[in-house]
Amino acid sequence: MSVYSIFFYLIAALMILSTALAVTRKNMVHAVLFLVISFLASALLFFLLGAPLLGILEVVIYAGAIMVLFLFVVMMIRIRATEGSGFLLWHYLGAGGLSALYVAACLLLVRHSGPGTGAPMPAAVAAPADFGLYLFERHWLGIEIVSLLLLVALIGVLHLGLSPAGQRSGKGGPY
Amino acid sequence: MTNWTLFAPELFMLAAAGLFFVLSLSRPQPARDYAVARVAAAVGLSLTAWAVGAEGVLFAGTYRVDLFSQVFKVLITTGFFLVICLCAELSGVADKRHSEFYLLLAVCTLALMLLTSCVHLLAIYLALELSSYSLYILVCLRRGREKGLESGLKYFIIGACASALMLFGFALLYGTGLSLHLADLARELPGRIHEPVVLIGFVLGLSGFLFKIAAFPFHFWAPEVYEAAPNQAAAYIATVSKAGGIAVLMRITAAAGAGGDQLVGFLMVVSVASMTLGNLAAIAQQDLKRLLAFSSVAHAGYVMIAILSFNAMGLSSGVFYALSLLVMKLTCFMIVIQVSSGGSNIKINDLAGLHIRAPVLAAALMLALFGLAGIPPTIGFTAKLLVFTAAVESGYLWLVIVAMINVVISLYYYLQVLKAAYFLEPKESAPPVRVPASLNFLALVLIFLTVAAGIYPRPFIAAAQAMTFGIIG
Repeated sequence: MSVYSIFFYLIAALMILSTALAVTRKNMVHAVLFLVISFLASALLFFLLGAPLLGILEVVIYAGAIMVLFLFVVMMIRIRATEGSGFLLWHYLGAGGLSALYVAACLLLVRHSGPGTGAPMPAAVAAPADFGLYLFERHWLGIEIVSLLLLVALIGVLHLGLSPAGQRSGKGGPY
Repeated sequence: MTNWTLFAPELFMLAAAGLFFVLSLSRPQPARDYAVARVAAAVGLSLTAWAVGAEGVLFAGTYRVDLFSQVFKVLITTGFFLVICLCAELSGVADKRHSEFYLLLAVCTLALMLLTSCVHLLAIYLALELSSYSLYILVCLRRGREKGLESGLKYFIIGACASALMLFGFALLYGTGLSLHLADLARELPGRIHEPVVLIGFVLGLSGFLFKIAAFPFHFWAPEVYEAAPNQAAAYIATVSKAGGIAVLMRITAAAGAGGDQLVGFLMVVSVASMTLGNLAAIAQQDLKRLLAFSSVAHAGYVMIAILSFNAMGLSSGVFYALSLLVMKLTCFMIVIQVSSGGSNIKINDLAGLHIRAPVLAAALMLALFGLAGIPPTIGFTAKLLVFTAAVESGYLWLVIVAMINVVISLYYYLQVLKAAYFLEPKESAPPVRVPASLNFLALVLIFLTVAAGIYPRPFIAAAQAMTFGIIG
């Protein structure tokens, strides 16, 4: 076992553990923090696999931006820890069944794949500068569309976020 | 060097959206917003019509301006203009939200125009999302928030699921080494469509477009959204957004060449399920907008027949069908909007005595319903005839028979609506239908189009054939 494999198994275990903790915590803030650890671990995996840019993006976007946003929302609306799990028995059965199916498929895959059965994947390593140049040269229309999308989303959030009382100050609607 | 004149219609639509953004920051004035919107839509339409012959490739090959995209852009801006014309009494939306309403309509129109021209799956996905997001918010703008909010959320969640599936499909395609550029995809895909990964990737990749045209299994949103959206927004979703969806669906499926048995089989399931479910559910509806929603689902099924035929006839009939849907659905929604008072929803029975209250509208409604049911001599009959001919040409006679049975089922509920409009006595309390002269004129134009394209469809068919020739390039 090389030192890389040891790192891999360590990180993978950390990922599974923190994700498991994230979905079982009653306190939402703790759950989000554990999810951040899980994202950091997956970023480490990307580093290990030789994709540093992807790793950094994972840290900046997922662990950094999105999760901090979640944290803000959770803290702002102050969700209290609920009593009981809120799930019924058949929820557990359904989820367990699907997961078992998934694990079985994975085990089957592992069994049938060994040395010599896999197709070699070409290594694609892009320096951040190359990636940025490619993105902005070839797909800048897409980036412009995304910027418009953000504007529209902002309008939507503003509309939804306005207090309903302010909305109803006009004359009564059809409903 | 980018030739910006090719991009002029889109740039104008962007500028119009910017204008409404500025207007939304100032004191709300519905009359001013409406006037500006009408002018902007009219200029946009004429600019698009002027650019109809433009051809070229922009943005490092990801954007293709050709006859197919340009004609669809004309259809889309025409629909946009007509929907704006119906906004004179935008009472379903709070007064201070009118400029946002027009802003979102303009952005959505821009997104649909981009959608018809994009030839890279990444750009297509983004344009699709942009149009969908604008529509989610348009639905939520309905005055009296709860209902609109709930359906808007439902629309959003179903749309997000469809997008996730679509992205997963694209990723699978990319993972097999296929290019995401449609021109390259069209070269490589027909030879590899039988590989399971490629097939699954392609089928999942279609889900976003099936959502857009409200085809099975992504049709659940249609009735609720049509019911809860402001009437004008529902009209937009039923017409303009459908035309954009059909355009992009046709371009993408055309990349699959002759299709392959499994892909055709899947599309057949989608088609048969959409039309059967749509027609059977429509029978039970009392709310006119819900009825139109289910009829949209059924029509998505008919459109799928045109697409799964995978021949030249199928492509041109698909374009013709998109045109016919635009005309007929707009006519129906024009009646919905004019008859409803204060932007409320109307039941079928509210149409009672329409032929006395508003004779021109009643005549337009009759022809549009005949068209939707496929009765000659309307545009809808010709469209169905073309689609069914395409299917028979590819040897799917049984599919045509199933579709014919569906057409008979659909006759029942279309005639129910017609019965209400022509044979029921109006209630004493029924509010009068005020029809401005301009709308009467619009109704006459739509009647003329419905009949003229039904009796003499040759120029339209020729145009559709010219458009779809070399759709991939």
